Amino acid sequence: MAYFMGIDIGSGTSKGVIIKDGKPLAYHLLPSGVNYKETAERLRKELLAKAGLSPKDIAYIMATGHGAESIPFSNDQVTDIRCCARGINSIFPSVRTVIDIQGMSSQVIRLNEKGRVINFVVTERCAAGSGRFLEIMANVLRIDLKDIGPLSLKSKNPVTFTAGCAVFGESEAISRVSEGASKEDILAGVHKALASKVATLVERVSLEMDCAISGGGALNVGLVKSVEEELGIQLLVSPQPQFVTALGAAVMAENRHKGISET
Amino acid sequence: MEGFAIFFAGVDIGSTMTKVVILDKDRGIRARVIGPTGAEHRRLANRVMEEALKKAALSFDEISYVVATGYGRINVPFADRQITELSCHAKGVASFFPNVRTALDIGGQDAKGLKIRNGELVDFVMNDKCAAGTGRFLEVLADTLGLRVEELGSISAKSKNRVRISNTCTVFVQVEVVTRLSEGVPLEDIVAGVHDAIASRAVNMLRRLKIEPDVVFTGGVAKNIGVVKAVKEHLGYDVLVPEEPLLSGAIGAALIGQELTLKAMAKGESLPRKERRLEEASFFS
Repeated sequence: MAYFMGIDIGSGTSKGVIIKDGKPLAYHLLPSGVNYKETAERLRKELLAKAGLSPKDIAYIMATGHGAESIPFSNDQVTDIRCCARGINSIFPSVRTVIDIQGMSSQVIRLNEKGRVINFVVTERCAAGSGRFLEIMANVLRIDLKDIGPLSLKSKNPVTFTAGCAVFGESEAISRVSEGASKEDILAGVHKALASKVATLVERVSLEMDCAISGGGALNVGLVKSVEEELGIQLLVSPQPQFVTALGAAVMAENRHKGISET
Repeated sequence: MEGFAIFFAGVDIGSTMTKVVILDKDRGIRARVIGPTGAEHRRLANRVMEEALKKAALSFDEISYVVATGYGRINVPFADRQITELSCHAKGVASFFPNVRTALDIGGQDAKGLKIRNGELVDFVMNDKCAAGTGRFLEVLADTLGLRVEELGSISAKSKNRVRISNTCTVFVQVEVVTRLSEGVPLEDIVAGVHDAIASRAVNMLRRLKIEPDVVFTGGVAKNIGVVKAVKEHLGYDVLVPEEPLLSGAIGAALIGQELTLKAMAKGESLPRKERRLEEASFFS
């Protein structure tokens, strides 16, 4: 029996997936920390334990993400862009555009029916376009990151953020709090600001439907709603959105093992 | 008021610091006050004006004209006139260095480049959309390193081998700096690397104006000797820094007030003035 593993070492969190015949059996997520090698080892161990497998059951391991080079036990590595496209294609074959919102960057990828990348843009130079902006704001407002989405949906009067910079946005949020703005209105404004950055990325690759959203940002219902409003479309929200890239790596591992061409 | 010792006040409410100067008719500084801006601009404006008058030993009635500038200028209720910080900076800088042709001003939340010809502003570039390359960038860094922002300049002077900062965004640089520290890179090399990053950004912005000497550097960041040195390196020639780099806007505002007054007097007119009254004048924290 052949099982395949995809490991995605991101700048914030590391994700691993084990699949068999293209179907996920086990997921695991860890903070990446500073020692990627150690993190990768732990991730593999815990994934195997969850799936009830031993290392020799895994026929091929594909590494991806920011720290892919630091994984000593992988058979090969590919870029996270290709993995994300491949992962979303295995979940939603109809998707031609995927918006991937991660902790330190956001990317929009255009892909074909086979899950191959046609075009992509990445914002990695500015925190205001990434999940990091949401973390900063959750921190300022002393709200758990997982609660900011639902809370923002209660907003009646979203605050407008003028700067487009996470650092200035933080000061703006503090000023608005001191003026008496509600947390939900501030959060709705934050989501709108991030959604508008994402929308400019989408414009640059030219949107083709269906459009999906993945990455940690897809767990935030407020952000998903804002992106939908900004683009005027309905998004497919990936299940287990943080694992899409790792899943794609696992799918590529399986294809590689079976000699299926990737080009 | 003609014939008497007449005084002009400039109030510059910046995003981070508020500056007030009172000049006498010979352009000498009679009083200066510098304090943090905070959230309540109006109350602050009244307070710093009161303090400046006290230092100058003048009553408010003796001030011929008050010009407010800076991003909080509309919140100076007693100002006779509001003038943009760009015009005031240009005027102030040219009063220190008459041969200035390019001025760089890096404040708490913005960075500006000014093209000046014969003491007048002719063009400008500005970044107020992104914290990278502003004083805020240095504040965040100092905070991350557990230092005071005033210490950064002298610390960086010890650097022998500055690091190259690969990120632009302040938030990401913060992470990069922590990573470098954990790798054992000396503090001074990190600080020097950050100064280099801010200087490179500033000089790139200035290039959009076509830089010509003399180049003058003002704003709170010009007090950091490490950034001044890095700006010189990126430019390839010398940079002039006034003695009080924070005050160029306020001094420029007061000087414009004087010019307006003299022009009006020459025509036998007098400028409309606000009532010389400070709100909450008794407030002192």
